[in-house]
Amino acid sequence: EGALPEIRWRCASSFPKSLDTIYGAGEHVAKRVAALTDGKFQIRVFAAGEIVPGLAVADAVQGGTVEAAHTASYYFVGKDPTFAFDGAVPFGLNMRQLNAWLQAGGGREVLREFFEGYNMVSLPAGNTGAQMGGWFRKEIRTVADLDGLKFRIGGFAGNVLQKLGVVPQQIAGGDIYPALEKGTIDAAEWVGPYDDEKLGFNRVAPYYYYPGWWEGALNLSFYIAKPKWDELPQLYKDALESACRDSTIETMAKYDVQNPQALRRLAAAGTQLRAFPREVMQACYRATFELYEETAAKNANFKKVYDHWRAFRDSQYQWFRVAESTFDNFAYFMHAREQQRP
Amino acid sequence: MSLEVMPPLMFGGLVLFLLIGFPVTFSLSAVGLFFGFVSIELGFFTPAYLGNLPLRVFGILANDLLLAIPFFTLMGAVLERCGLAEDLLEGTGQLFGKVPGGLAYAVIIVGAILGAITGTVAASVIAMGMISLPIMMRYGYDMRIATGVIAASGTITQVIPPSLVLIVLGDQLGKSVGDMYAGAIGPSFLQLLLFILFIVGVSIFAPHKVPPLPDEALTQKGWTLWWRVLKGMVPSVVLIFLVLGTIFMGLATPTEAGAMGAVGSVVLAMCNGRFTWDLLWQATQNTMRITAMVIFILIGATVFSLVFQGVDGSIWIEHLLAKLPGGATGFLIFSQVFIFFLAFFLDFFEIAFIVIPLLAPVAAKLGIDLVWFGVLICVNMQTSFMHPPFGFALFYLRGIAPKEVRSSDIYWGAIPWVALQLVLVAIVIFWPESVTYWLDKGTGVDPSTVRIEVPLPDLPEDDAPPVFR
Amino acid sequence: MGPLLAFSRAVDALNTAVGKLADWAVLLSCAISAGNAIVRYGVSYSSNAWLEVQWYLFGAIVMLGASYTLFRNEHVRVDLVYGNLGERARLWVDVFGFIFFMLPAMLLLAWMTWPFFVDSWVRHEGSPNAGGLLRWPVKLLLPVGFVLLCLQGFSELIKRIALLRGIHPTAEVVVEYHRPEQ
Ligand code: NA
Ligand code: NA
Repeated sequence: EGALPEIRWRCASSFPKSLDTIYGAGEHVAKRVAALTDGKFQIRVFAAGEIVPGLAVADAVQGGTVEAAHTASYYFVGKDPTFAFDGAVPFGLNMRQLNAWLQAGGGREVLREFFEGYNMVSLPAGNTGAQMGGWFRKEIRTVADLDGLKFRIGGFAGNVLQKLGVVPQQIAGGDIYPALEKGTIDAAEWVGPYDDEKLGFNRVAPYYYYPGWWEGALNLSFYIAKPKWDELPQLYKDALESACRDSTIETMAKYDVQNPQALRRLAAAGTQLRAFPREVMQACYRATFELYEETAAKNANFKKVYDHWRAFRDSQYQWFRVAESTFDNFAYFMHAREQQRP
Repeated sequence: MSLEVMPPLMFGGLVLFLLIGFPVTFSLSAVGLFFGFVSIELGFFTPAYLGNLPLRVFGILANDLLLAIPFFTLMGAVLERCGLAEDLLEGTGQLFGKVPGGLAYAVIIVGAILGAITGTVAASVIAMGMISLPIMMRYGYDMRIATGVIAASGTITQVIPPSLVLIVLGDQLGKSVGDMYAGAIGPSFLQLLLFILFIVGVSIFAPHKVPPLPDEALTQKGWTLWWRVLKGMVPSVVLIFLVLGTIFMGLATPTEAGAMGAVGSVVLAMCNGRFTWDLLWQATQNTMRITAMVIFILIGATVFSLVFQGVDGSIWIEHLLAKLPGGATGFLIFSQVFIFFLAFFLDFFEIAFIVIPLLAPVAAKLGIDLVWFGVLICVNMQTSFMHPPFGFALFYLRGIAPKEVRSSDIYWGAIPWVALQLVLVAIVIFWPESVTYWLDKGTGVDPSTVRIEVPLPDLPEDDAPPVFR
Repeated sequence: MGPLLAFSRAVDALNTAVGKLADWAVLLSCAISAGNAIVRYGVSYSSNAWLEVQWYLFGAIVMLGASYTLFRNEHVRVDLVYGNLGERARLWVDVFGFIFFMLPAMLLLAWMTWPFFVDSWVRHEGSPNAGGLLRWPVKLLLPVGFVLLCLQGFSELIKRIALLRGIHPTAEVVVEYHRPEQ
């Protein structure tokens, strides 16, 4: 048993430092790894754009030009829609269930081969929980209101909404604010109250919709170049795995503390909270599963992961309906009633 | 050799390589690669690290905001060629008539108008240069005053919303674009005022540098003059409507508004009977070459900054920053001086990505309003476009100026304006209300008093038992 | 130098032709961008494909136009020193620059961007945005553009060496450095 080697890695994040929680999840991994290896295994995290642009981090890890990356896998659905399962899919799992699938339910195993095709390993490292549906200039009352709605929304959810007449518009990042302000687009979505507050969209779009059904939970991923992972001593692999798990707990806790406070601030600033009407949600739900079937028919990778994911979801939904959601619903209901009758 | 000496060596190498006089883009990439190979030899990073270059280059091409550059260049080129821009400037110049510096005032005002339309310095400086430089030369303006006022009035676009710099800064500081735009309004006006006062000063102390139009140029008087001015103004007013108006109507995004402006300039030329296909084709070719030239500077710069990151340049800067004195005012002054000097070597993207994340937490801890801080940096970084001899705005101006214009004129001409921009930095430091006055004060509702009631799905009253099958 | 100068003429002709494509990309991107805005406003229809094609064309302007811009000697320089040199000294600066600055960097970029394109091609990489475009065409622009630049770099080098050796090349060579031609 020789001395442990000194290892230095660069980790390219997909996020700017201003998103302190989501970017911080990557930094947290680096800090924990250093602490667990007595400072011998050092990972330096670079914000989006410092080494490569935020959306290029998968290419960088795949090509081995950085050793690691911290990102959200659904950014890469253009390469293959299967990536989405590692991040978030519409009407998917909540944070607990997604975590269960990835950590212990066989999700990571079923995705492993897929990621090896890109020469990398993906570890869950951070979670945002359920996100918000975004900022709207006009109210959505019926499915018909979706028709012609110009919505800045990327990825898989854009495809779902397109089926219902929405016009997904991926306009330039810097154009979003003025375009939303002047009505060039009707809506834009981002993350949840804490991160959205910083963008100030509340100033230009009054209605804040929930839930972001396309992100019932977003798992953040720590990508590692496969050859670099294989080279690691077992102790370092263990440290990295632990650090990533730790980061998931850490970010979820931070978001759960920050989001309610931010939501109150937004409400105080005049934001009007709106829920997507049930009719709209139902139409979206149906369109989503149509799209899954269509995609699975065309893409073998997708089908393999989807089948596994769906079976897992079925068992989770059933279990959560027994104790978890009965408990949650009852407690929220009683609490709300008490608040209404002081 | 240790890692810490690499960043300063890279800055030194940059100056040396650029001074040789080979095209800037290739010199930037060469200095980057030179130090890249040195770093590989010394084991600071592996050859694989340089493999990030294609991703960075692709990132530049995929940056939709840069589309504004060809659009506004085309608009400027068409306006210049069909003489409409000249009409505007000449008309305004005629209006000021015998006032010395009349054309310079016109340039400053036109620059501000263009600044309210475009968000990128390259687009604005190029359009300004193409429109105004020939006219100022024709009427005997001092070359240094002419190039200086054009470069300065072109860079002012970065303080006047919309602005790419403010967007990037807001992103880095975690502040909304809207706040940044609101905060920049005051300093924009102050800057215009400073520029105008400077020209007033020049026209008093060195009137021969900003001559009034010669008598033979002042052909019209009375109603004919007003008619001429009006006719010169109409196309610009129409264009401003096309660009700004379509944004306000919600018809176009700011980027698309640039394209509306370019299409509009063609339509205007047609209405004036000055349009020819040859004119459009010439303008297009010009636009293509200027766009390729400008974006290739960014490509060269990205090679340099990748290697700079690889040799821990940001850590080196962090150490320098650690030596800044404490206290809010001391921190502000020294951080601005620091950025000013850094801006000689790095362009604003690098400063925004490397320096801002290091400064922002300190500023926040000292209780400095981050919007104020961001606007201050924005005003300061204008100078990075104007620093002789490496300011990008000067490169752009050099790229389009006739060869009679000596580069030394461009460099010397920039200096007073850099000084004016520094005066503005000082004003904004000591008068924070110039920024914060314009910020949204909020509704005044205390968040802790807010009640959020979320409707719940009905709970079934009778509890049917679960069924096992 | 005969065959070399012939090569140089061929490269110049090629890049002049490619430069025309870049010119068209300017007009097209402008028309499409304005069209996007009008159609979206008028009939509430738009698509990410039409948004993405704008920056594909932007990529074409830059990558296909850079070599012709080099032919016209319009990549901007810091001419603090260069501007005061005589013609022969300037030719020497260029010869040095092409050999040590320009060609190594552009060859490296051409070589590195090729696999970047190939990966996108073999995987049929698409856009992450609903209704977006296939990515390989815009990624192909990178190696193509850098190869064209390398060719133009060789052409310019040949012409300058010829001038230094007192041979006046039959190919057009722009040694004067000034603003884009009107
Ligand atoms: Na979201
Ligand atoms: Na502006």
